[in-house]
Amino acid sequence: MKVFDATKLSHVAAALQAAGYRVVAPIEDGAVVRLKEWAPGASIRPDVIPVNSAKDVLLPPSEVIGRTTFDGNDFTPQDVPVAAPRTVLLAVRPCDAAAMALLDTVFNWDYKDEFYNARREATTVVPVACTSTDDQCFCTSVGGAPDSKAGADAILRPADGGTKFIVEPITEKGKAMLAAAGGTIADGDAKADPPAAVPRRFDAQAVTAWLADHFEDDLWATVGLGCLGCGACTYACPTCHCFDIQDEATRREGVRLRNWDSCGFGQFTLHASGHNPRALQSARWRNRVMHKFSYIPQRFQMLGCTGCGRCARLCGAGMSMAEVCRLIDEESRKAAAK
Amino acid sequence: MSPNPQPAPIAATPRGNLYQPLVMKIASAREEAPDVRTLRLEFPDEASRAAFFAKYRVGMFGLYGVPGAGESTFCVASPPTRTGYIECTFRRTGRVTAALRDREVGQAITFRGPYGNCFPIETWKGRNLVFIAGGIALPPLRSVISNVLDRRAEFGKVTILYGARTVADLVYKDELAEWAKRADVNLVTTVDPGGETPDWKGKIGFVPAVLEQAAPGPDNAVALVCGPPIMIKFSLPVLKKLGFPDADTYTTLENRMKCGVGKCGRCNVGSLYVCKDGPVFTVEQLRGMPQGDL
Amino acid sequence: MEVDRLQTDAAELLRSGRARMVIGFRARGDQRVPAFITDPGQTGDLVVDDACRLNPAAYLRKPELKRFRPVALVARPAVMRSLVLLAAESQITDADVLVMAVGPDVYHGVLDLAGTTALLKEKYADLPHDAAMLKRIEELAAMTPQERAAFWAAQFAKCTRCYACRAACPGCYCERCIVEQNKPQWISTAARRHGNYAWNVIRAFHQAGRCTECGACEAACPQGIPLMLLNVRLAGDAQREFKAKAGYDPAAKPVIGTWSEDDGEEFIR
Repeated sequence: MKVFDATKLSHVAAALQAAGYRVVAPIEDGAVVRLKEWAPGASIRPDVIPVNSAKDVLLPPSEVIGRTTFDGNDFTPQDVPVAAPRTVLLAVRPCDAAAMALLDTVFNWDYKDEFYNARREATTVVPVACTSTDDQCFCTSVGGAPDSKAGADAILRPADGGTKFIVEPITEKGKAMLAAAGGTIADGDAKADPPAAVPRRFDAQAVTAWLADHFEDDLWATVGLGCLGCGACTYACPTCHCFDIQDEATRREGVRLRNWDSCGFGQFTLHASGHNPRALQSARWRNRVMHKFSYIPQRFQMLGCTGCGRCARLCGAGMSMAEVCRLIDEESRKAAAK
Repeated sequence: MSPNPQPAPIAATPRGNLYQPLVMKIASAREEAPDVRTLRLEFPDEASRAAFFAKYRVGMFGLYGVPGAGESTFCVASPPTRTGYIECTFRRTGRVTAALRDREVGQAITFRGPYGNCFPIETWKGRNLVFIAGGIALPPLRSVISNVLDRRAEFGKVTILYGARTVADLVYKDELAEWAKRADVNLVTTVDPGGETPDWKGKIGFVPAVLEQAAPGPDNAVALVCGPPIMIKFSLPVLKKLGFPDADTYTTLENRMKCGVGKCGRCNVGSLYVCKDGPVFTVEQLRGMPQGDL
Repeated sequence: MEVDRLQTDAAELLRSGRARMVIGFRARGDQRVPAFITDPGQTGDLVVDDACRLNPAAYLRKPELKRFRPVALVARPAVMRSLVLLAAESQITDADVLVMAVGPDVYHGVLDLAGTTALLKEKYADLPHDAAMLKRIEELAAMTPQERAAFWAAQFAKCTRCYACRAACPGCYCERCIVEQNKPQWISTAARRHGNYAWNVIRAFHQAGRCTECGACEAACPQGIPLMLLNVRLAGDAQREFKAKAGYDPAAKPVIGTWSEDDGEEFIR
């Protein structure tokens, strides 16, 4: 068994950095804990769910996907280098790792997005099993688990009452990471702490079934009321990947950017004619729920949500994917009882 | 994550950029109607031309762009039977179409495609074809019509019903004149009441009404209908009345698009992505879509 | 705080038809989430405490809520100011809202806009800010421009352009926000330094003289950017330079859109 002292997590990070990895971990950053690049002195907090998700590493908020130089009215496309440093996502959440299955699928659906793939291949995913949970977590409602190995190259298990971590390599990348950590992770014995008990909050299959028949339902008008149409939930979500493409240029050169976008924004589906298929926030909320629990399962046989709870944690307007699913599950059971 | 990661070593050799467009030369341009323009575009080299035509089937679309302004989505308005060039027709509406409109013959624009699905034209051999189009929506059907006329003997009767708000708004005026002359094409053109000029010889009336009058027969026929939503809304009941089954009536959908390849998440109508499952849909599929998402 | 009385009043407003909806807060575990109540039987869910940081006046811009007017809003002083501001900017009238006015530990009852304005002038003319925040604003003001720019650059580097600040703000009701204009694209939409700086500073300036200092933007920001350090500073500048304090006069003219011969000229150096 490979074990290290919980207080020595920074030493592991340092060893990995020395071995050439960019280490991304949940770091104390002012009043919040944020997944960001570790530097010596930074405090790693594996016990706190960071405000952002591991998606940031695979799909950055803004990246260059095209480059052009201009010469008067002429232009010449240039090559676009892909920045994909070898990275280890250290002590991320299992729900973030599980979300990568959807991202992998979408970014390779018929057309391969090599920007995404380069970063994906360069990333070693090492989640820490959750031994505590909060009111917003709901991984067990969407086919996940607090100690799930889905998407993981290696997994850290808190052990001996949180004083140690057991490292369990799963893939070749995980084994390479373990080797790179060198003496900071040694042979030893420890007893893994039990994973957190995450109560099931709704029946996802019932939700998917209900959604197939209830595109027009009064529920959408009420659940969507609180939403003010920002992109905070979609940006924090580990499975959300909608993006915008924007050109920015001077007279001499230009870039084509891929920027995060959100189906919650009012202009997301606005036509040049002025017509907007989703003109009201309730329609946009319906699309969001449908996408995660109906359209994605239909097409890719997986849910578009891994139950991390970030959307509910940070929405000041009380929107919560789990809460909507719970309401739908309730509706569905009421209808069945009739 | 800091939104501005520092430049980092490249871990893998880029294996191709799916978003990298081709640079196409504008071989010619034609003003079809006020603010409506057709560009004829040539490929930068034989390899890209051949690769395009290996994939291109009528109905597919592309993203046409001007670096610095962005990209816009239009159908490929010329058929795969004409392999020296592609054409697109668009109306100046916003930032990108304004930039496209300002490009001159001899200058370049960018192109990505062909994307999407196609009209199942091979299954229509021997069948009668009824084309119903309105205004700026003739381009997608024009590529099918040209495709069919280039292979005329393979298909049955060809009926084209095309209308616009005014005579000036009719697009492809030269082709309309050619189609009118052909004995093997039944062309009916119409303008909205009040849109006629003193020498207008065509019909006067909205497309659905003229369609009902013209009453093309549904036997062994396939109908294709493209137009503004209001025209579609009133034409579909007429087609139904005339006996055209929904499964044999085709249309194209448009939605705001960015990537064109199923990744940016915005062009879906219900569970169907216009860029992947479309843009060509049967009316049967259209009726199965959540109408509140259109 | 007589929450019971507020709840009873809310139920009565709905029963009598004086209001078609009550917008306030309810508890969901530890969180305070907005409540949109149309059923008088559910007004017992309403809670009022310091954890209610969202500004419900922001909901008045939603077209889907128009059919529920008149709407009764549970309004703390900053929210009352927002409502008066919206009236001054012709966004709402007396026919649209009723105010269930609350203060620190006190419920004032149901008021119309005139009554709300009077209450604000009488009891809430000076709403104190957190001393630590005021100190921080002073520290920033004492910095050199380079130091201050570096401070804000570091803060705005965290911005992901989620626009939660804009969504949470009742004063941000433009149907097409300046950042959504693309002919030309005044502000880059990418979450990068230059665009982030421009976005945040321009939003602060578009709120100058209009901000009612409710703090909903800062509370909404998922990245913890201290937006109030900028907004409160600009509100103070508007007050000092133009004697303008947003949300106390439903007939007030907009600060940035109005010129007066008395305007000071000390900024011209």
